[in-house]
Order: sequence, then C-alpha cells, then structure tokens
Amino acid sequence: MSFLRLEGLCKQFGDFLAVDDVSLDIEKGEFVSLLGPSGCGKTTTLHMIAGFIEPTAGRVFINGKEITRERPNKRQLGIVFQSYALFPHMSVFENVSFGLEMRKVRGGERKKRVEETLGLVHLGDFAGRYPSELSGGQQQRVALARALVIQPEVLLLDEPLSALDAKIREDMQIELRAIQRTVGTTTILVTHDQAEAMAMSDRVAVMNTGRLVQVDPPFTAYEHPGDSFVSRFLGKSNMFSGSVESVSRAEVLVRTSTRIMEAAVPRTATAPLASGAPVFYSVRPEKIHLVGEGEARLTGNVEARIFLGNHWVFQIATELGTVIVVSQNTGEVAVAEGARIGLDWEAREVRVLSREENE
Amino acid sequence: MSAPGSHAVSTRPYLLNAPALGLFLALFVAPLLMTFLLSFNTFDMNRGGILDEYSWVNYLEVLGDSYFHEIFLRTLLISLAVTLLCVLLGTPEAYILHRMASPWKSICMLVILGPLLISVVVRTLGWAILIGSNGVINHALIGMGLVDQPIKLMFTNTGMVIALVHVLIPFMVLSVWASLQKLDPRVESAGLSLGATPFVVLRRIVLPQIMPGVLSGSLIVFALTASAFATPSILGGRRLKVVATAAYDEYLGTLNWPLGAAIAMLLLIANVVIIVSYNKYIERRYAQVFK
Repeated sequence: MSFLRLEGLCKQFGDFLAVDDVSLDIEKGEFVSLLGPSGCGKTTTLHMIAGFIEPTAGRVFINGKEITRERPNKRQLGIVFQSYALFPHMSVFENVSFGLEMRKVRGGERKKRVEETLGLVHLGDFAGRYPSELSGGQQQRVALARALVIQPEVLLLDEPLSALDAKIREDMQIELRAIQRTVGTTTILVTHDQAEAMAMSDRVAVMNTGRLVQVDPPFTAYEHPGDSFVSRFLGKSNMFSGSVESVSRAEVLVRTSTRIMEAAVPRTATAPLASGAPVFYSVRPEKIHLVGEGEARLTGNVEARIFLGNHWVFQIATELGTVIVVSQNTGEVAVAEGARIGLDWEAREVRVLSREENE
Repeated sequence: MSAPGSHAVSTRPYLLNAPALGLFLALFVAPLLMTFLLSFNTFDMNRGGILDEYSWVNYLEVLGDSYFHEIFLRTLLISLAVTLLCVLLGTPEAYILHRMASPWKSICMLVILGPLLISVVVRTLGWAILIGSNGVINHALIGMGLVDQPIKLMFTNTGMVIALVHVLIPFMVLSVWASLQKLDPRVESAGLSLGATPFVVLRRIVLPQIMPGVLSGSLIVFALTASAFATPSILGGRRLKVVATAAYDEYLGTLNWPLGAAIAMLLLIANVVIIVSYNKYIERRYAQVFK
C-alpha cells in the first residue's frame, strides 16, 4: 500500500458536492500537487487530509493506518497555510518551537532542532524577531520551518506562495523544492498556478468540479492531456472543434468546419475514437511553425505580435479562428503585423481530445 | 491671488473642526473646569451657602473622614468585582458567539446587545422586581421549598454587582468580539496541526491575541461601574452609597455643592490613575500583540 492513500473521498456541503470520489495514492517522499481552478475542491481535499473538514464519505490512510476520523492534533501532519497563520504574539523561535513543546521535547533538544530547522530555511539570524517584523517571504519560511520541525509524516502546503511577489515566488518555488528534497517529506501542494505545480511536483493531480481528472508527471500531463480541460488548464492550446472522419492504425482524420486535417492516433485514448465522434483537434502554440504560404497546412494574417524577451507570441487570424503561435526569439525581427503567413505542425504533435456535443 | 490655496488650506482643518471643538469645550471642558473650581469653594449654611473663599477644606474633609473612605472602598471593590465577572463571563461569551454559525450568530448578538437598547433605569427597576424580597426569584425559591426566608439581594452589594454585570457585559462582549474579528481563523488550525489540544490553542494562541479587547473592555466596564449612578441608587438605596450617589446626595441633599464637586474630582482622579496604570501594565506585558 502506498504511503498516503485517499480512498473515494467525498464532501458534500448542502446540495453542493465539493469533492467527488477522489482517490489518490502517494508514495513516501513524493511531491504531488493538487491543481485546479478555484472552487474545484482541492483545498477541501487538503483540509480533509488535515482533519479540519470531515469527509462525507471515503477514507484517508497514512502509512497503512486509517486516520479518517482522527482529530487534527493527533495526526502527524505539518501544514503551511496561505495566510501563513503565524502566531503574532510569539517570536520566530517560539513559533517554530511550539510544535515541539506540544510533543514534550525537552529544552536542549528543542533548541537544537529549532535552530537546525531555522538554518534549513535560512532564518538562523531571525530567531528573536516577531512575525510583524519580517517580510512576506520570511514569514513564509517561518511557516515552513514551523511545519517541518515536528518532522511530520506528510507536509501539506495550502497555496503557500500565492501571497508573494512574482520574483520571490519563483525563488521560493526552487527553494521549497530543494528543502523538500533534502528532508524527504511526502508533500502535497494545493495550487491554482499551473506553472508552480509543474515546476515543483513529481506528479500533478488536476482537479475540476470536485473530481480528479488526471494524475501524471508534469511532462506527461502537459504533452498528453487526458481531456480538453487539462489541455486548456496546463498551458495554452489551440483547439479546433471537429468530428472524427476516419480512424486508421497510422492516423486519425478530423473534419473541422472547413477542411479535413490529420493527427496521430492518441497514445492513450480515454475512449476509443469512433467515426463521427465530436472532438477537439488540439495543437500547443509552441508546436506550430511559421512557414511560407505554399508549404503550410493553414494560412492566416498576423493580427498581433507580442515580444516577451525570450519568445514571441503571435495571434494569427485563420479560417478556423484565431490561432496562438509561440516562437523562440532567434535574434531576428519576426514577421510584421498584418503580414500573410503560413502555419505548419507535425501530425504527431496534435492531440485529439473528446468534446461535448455543444462545446 | 498668487497662491490662492495656501492660506485656506492651513486654516480649513481648524474651521472644519471648530463646531465639534466648540461643542466639546462648551459641554465638557467648561463644566469640568467649573466643577474643579467649585470644589475649592468653601461652604457654610449659616453664612449663605457657597462662599467666595478658596481652600483645600473639602478635599481634606473627604480624605479624612472614614465615612467617605468606606464609600470609596465600596466603589472600588464593586468596580473590581464587576470588571472581573465581566471578563470571566464576557470573554467566553464573545468567543462562543464568534464560533457560532450564521443565523444564530446574529440572533445571539442581538440578545446580548438588546439590553443596551433599554434605559439603564428601566433595566435596574427590572432587577428590583426580580431580586426584591417579594420578587420573582424569592417567590420561586420559596415556592420550590429551597429556602425558608427570602434571600436578601435588594440593597446589598451582591445585588448591585449582579445588576451592573448585566448592564455592562455588552461592552465587554463587543470589545472582545472586535479583537476576535482581527484574528486569522487559520491560526487555530495551525495550532491544532502542531499537536495542541483545543484548550491549549485557546489559552496559548487565541487568548493572548484577544488581550487588547479584554483590556479595553475591562477599562470601559471599570470606568462605567466606578461612575455608575442609576443602578447603585436604585438597588443600593440610601445606606449602601457609592461615590457617584454620595456626590449626588451632597449636591441635592445637603446642598453642599463644593463638597460634592470635590468628591466628583477625587473619583475622576482615582479613575484616571487606575485606568492609566492598568493600561500601561497590560501594554508592556503584551507588547507584541499591540503592535
């Protein structure tokens, strides 16, 4: 059995099913992100693991032991909250030491462990300060130290970086990941930021409307999204509505509003593609090349061109609608706005994703 | 008109403040000053009442007379008792209210604040009906056979304290409630996740953070009890005087206005000294929370 196991977790608030049959197995030392838009049930799931919310149905196991009905103060978990929730009337040292006091760790040992953990988050010199005297990033580190010092079985991070500036957030992502690798604590991160989830986790668990949609390593989830929601939520995608024209062993032909286009057969099809089935023909913006009109699959006019330093973003009006293209900055000035341009891509870069009839 | 705004800008705040300031000066500072001056006048019934002679004689009389010592001591003890009871009852009350779910929260808040909507005299007369020898409580107790004689609550310190706690506890609840609003609800969860029991969370994490509310609440309650008039005069009667009723009696009973003024000034000074030193002490003790 895996180290942390969620088994059919459900949470109902009145008529609203916030979490719908979530099952997840997490290995010891693994870093898993619960990723989804706000209201998808990810925070509720985390709070059920922490014991702050009682599940309507389902079970939670840590290390083979069921803790579904265990009180939160009896679970050996470390939690970092979005608001940090530091104790404002205690110094940094006292904040970190609190969990050890509750575990009756004696003075000398306690001091040693607090100092070690503060060193781990690079706050060794701040032990005597109060939370109000620290920056957001430093408060975040105190919260992390406070959760780690008790050597929790599982570390739960509830949108821990969302209150920080973009620059500090990126630094903290790298640092948090490094600290997690050092201490090896099994970690669950809740976030709505797909870049954060991909940067930090071994696996991302994408949630939507209370359900777990896909659980995969970031690269797999990005390259082989299970459905159109994941495809749209993880990065950007150009999705053309169409229906399956024909399926052979080598390729799928998709009929869109104006033409028939080919795609590779999906690696893992959620449902076998049948002729006539409504699908999206989906291509990532960075997989599309700008080429001359003659050799193109699709042509269009450059509507807008945005320079972002290391890459360009183009908005191109085509017969299938607006297409987003991202290309590397190669040091040459890119095509001008208004220019007519051809678009090309490899059939194996296309994902055929199932679509609701009216989508 | 080279700099049209400069002059107007510098005086405008004062002009805008003037009506409020005028009201404050006329209705608060002036009477207070006049009372202060009045407290130094001498008084002689035989020579026509208040004389234009100034001395410390009123203060010496109050400070030297054991009759007044008793009144001041009683006022202090009642104030301390009422403040303590309001802290012990009001703080948990506010916390429970804070944790309540939506519709009940507002309903209970209204129940707690309800007494503030009724005149203090009416509320006190209500207590007189309840605790009198022929009152509801004694009738009930005797009827149930729990006591033979009516319990004496009317015209006792206990009766006064009970009624004053009822009158003043909303201030305590409101004050603690306000500081609970500033509490990050997640700190309690954080405490629990670190292995603290709910009681330890309350004592070590919640209570220190709501101390400013408890402090300001107890200051309000103490000051209002020390200067309370209606409740002590109705429930304490003529015999159990407190400072406010004693001053009232000097003014309207013996017509010795200067002595009444001296009593009022001494109450004011005592109140200010106690409140300021208590405030200083608590602020030092909980320095971090007040930041």
